[in-house]
Amino acid sequence: MEIRNILVWATLTAIVCVSAAAFYTPIAGAQQAKTVRVFHAGSLAVPLAEAESQFEALHPNMDVQRESMGSVKAIRQITDVGKRADVLASADYSLIPGMMYPEYADWYVRFATNDMVLAYNPEKSKYAAEITPDNWYELLRKGGVVFGFSNPNLDPCGYRSLMVMQLAELYYNDSKIFDDLVLNNTAITISEDADGTFLMTVPEDPKPNTEKVSIRPKSVELVALVEEGGLDYAFEYRSVAVQHNLAFVDLPEQIDLSRIEYADTYRKVKVQTADGKTKTGKPIVYGITVPKNAENPDMGLEFVKFVIGDAGQKIFADMGQPPIVPPEGSGNVPEELKGLVQLELVEPTPTPTPTPAPTPAPKEPGFEAGFAIAGILAIVYLALRRGKG
Amino acid sequence: MEELKRENVYVISISLGLVLVAFVFITLGNMYYKQVEDFSGLIDAVTDPVVLEAIWISISAAVCSTLIAFLFGVPLAYFLARKEFMGKSVIEGIVDIPLMIPHIVAGIALYGVFMRYGLIGAPLRKLGIVITDAYPGIVVAMLFMSFPYLVDTVREGFKEVDPRLENVARSLGASHWRTFREITFPLAFPSILSGAILSWGRAISEFSAVLIIAYHPISAPILIYEKFTSFGLRASRPISVLLISICLVIFIVLRMIGKRSRKK
Repeated sequence: MEIRNILVWATLTAIVCVSAAAFYTPIAGAQQAKTVRVFHAGSLAVPLAEAESQFEALHPNMDVQRESMGSVKAIRQITDVGKRADVLASADYSLIPGMMYPEYADWYVRFATNDMVLAYNPEKSKYAAEITPDNWYELLRKGGVVFGFSNPNLDPCGYRSLMVMQLAELYYNDSKIFDDLVLNNTAITISEDADGTFLMTVPEDPKPNTEKVSIRPKSVELVALVEEGGLDYAFEYRSVAVQHNLAFVDLPEQIDLSRIEYADTYRKVKVQTADGKTKTGKPIVYGITVPKNAENPDMGLEFVKFVIGDAGQKIFADMGQPPIVPPEGSGNVPEELKGLVQLELVEPTPTPTPTPAPTPAPKEPGFEAGFAIAGILAIVYLALRRGKG
Repeated sequence: MEELKRENVYVISISLGLVLVAFVFITLGNMYYKQVEDFSGLIDAVTDPVVLEAIWISISAAVCSTLIAFLFGVPLAYFLARKEFMGKSVIEGIVDIPLMIPHIVAGIALYGVFMRYGLIGAPLRKLGIVITDAYPGIVVAMLFMSFPYLVDTVREGFKEVDPRLENVARSLGASHWRTFREITFPLAFPSILSGAILSWGRAISEFSAVLIIAYHPISAPILIYEKFTSFGLRASRPISVLLISICLVIFIVLRMIGKRSRKK
């Protein structure tokens, strides 16, 4: 091939790459819808996607951009990495006061719950026709039945599954449930403390006996295995089972980690994961707030209003994440929300004056593009010169 | 002038080509450099039996997968290189499908076939062979994702062997099998080795499909992911560095063997 041809090809490649990059990079100063950036827990992805489309239909000039990740990671993005979000929704409401107060937030609203269920496939799971909230632990013990939970070291749903199995021992008054299901089939251990609490310890490799117990990193991966029929039962969040159309055993409230009323019962079980951290059983309640460093706090608040309002409540009910009605506010709840929530009767923690968030420098209008164009011109110039020579 | 021009082509090709080499070198070099700063972390990884076992599982399963791909892939590649027939492009398309489907999709599909009630899994289980959540599952996932590299490379290698050489051998009385063994195979060997290396490398790195079909026993990419998720970069990087170093050594040695066989 002639050098000239090569150079022409190189030029074409460069043009394609640069125009593709330019197409996907928002140009500074262009007219854009106002964005509402939402960081949220992975388990809120489905209802919030629905909320997003309804919200955008109501407010055509607003563009909701969601980022889905673990709750702790979402908060760290704000507190450690320094990213700015207009709304933060966490799968564990206590993380907001725990990790964000007072510098990054001073209020939150508890607006929805979730709980643990035992999901199965009515057509393929063994004993699916017989299973009830009263006999599930008997059926899981039977030979040939394979069940699964996610890795407690990687997924909160995993350590909550362990909590459910230990709470079941207390609730059904059968001290062998955890032993038969977990202790004898994995490297996970348990010890009873003097104060009547139980501590389960998960080693780095839980080493499941895979003929009986399947472990996967995240609980949603178990869904596929149950759908295929390779797994008879899997511990899942109610929301996951509902959203994936799986049948499920609705476990008793005393063990399913759903009710604030049973918080004292749930507290009796603890799980120590491989990183040395101990998680204590508590109700699964979602919290939402507008972080103090939000770029568009007004629009963030508007989205929160929508999510905790009537329309949002309906979405969450349909998606298997029962809404809290009325939502419960805590801390220094903004005036606009006070009509929508029931305020907690606790003195709000005094908050120091917020540190002014540094205004970000406006993005330099694409110096990379300039670079690329200069490169192309150079190549073209060379090609032309070559052609002449 | 003509000579100068040819040199110029080399100058251009090396300067453009170096961009890609630098791309890899900088990325991995940066990782190695950071690891050197945390040398004790690397020592911990090298002496951790869990890490060594995971790396061993990955490397050995990839060898199994490559051997199986070799056993079935070389004949397929030979046939595809030599014969024209109806539906050939369909077969070639099917062979290449694993290259384009998302790995997680492949994993779920494999799980459906190889699990206890699956089309292949059920009869195998009767024979006492369990695929899912077991070592064979890792091999199955690796094989599915990596054999096209072997078949495609080897097919091109066979195509480059001049059929006239084969005809000469056969006209001198050699059987078809002997011609293949003594003429075609040795001449295509560099491509075969190259295809096997590519397929082996691809197999080692497979993560998503393995994760669905056989999370346990834990192979190296899964261990790296787990460490990263629960302990962060500091814990996962030494394992990555170790795995890459071992693979790099194996790669270079195999390429050197390939070169020597080419010289012969």
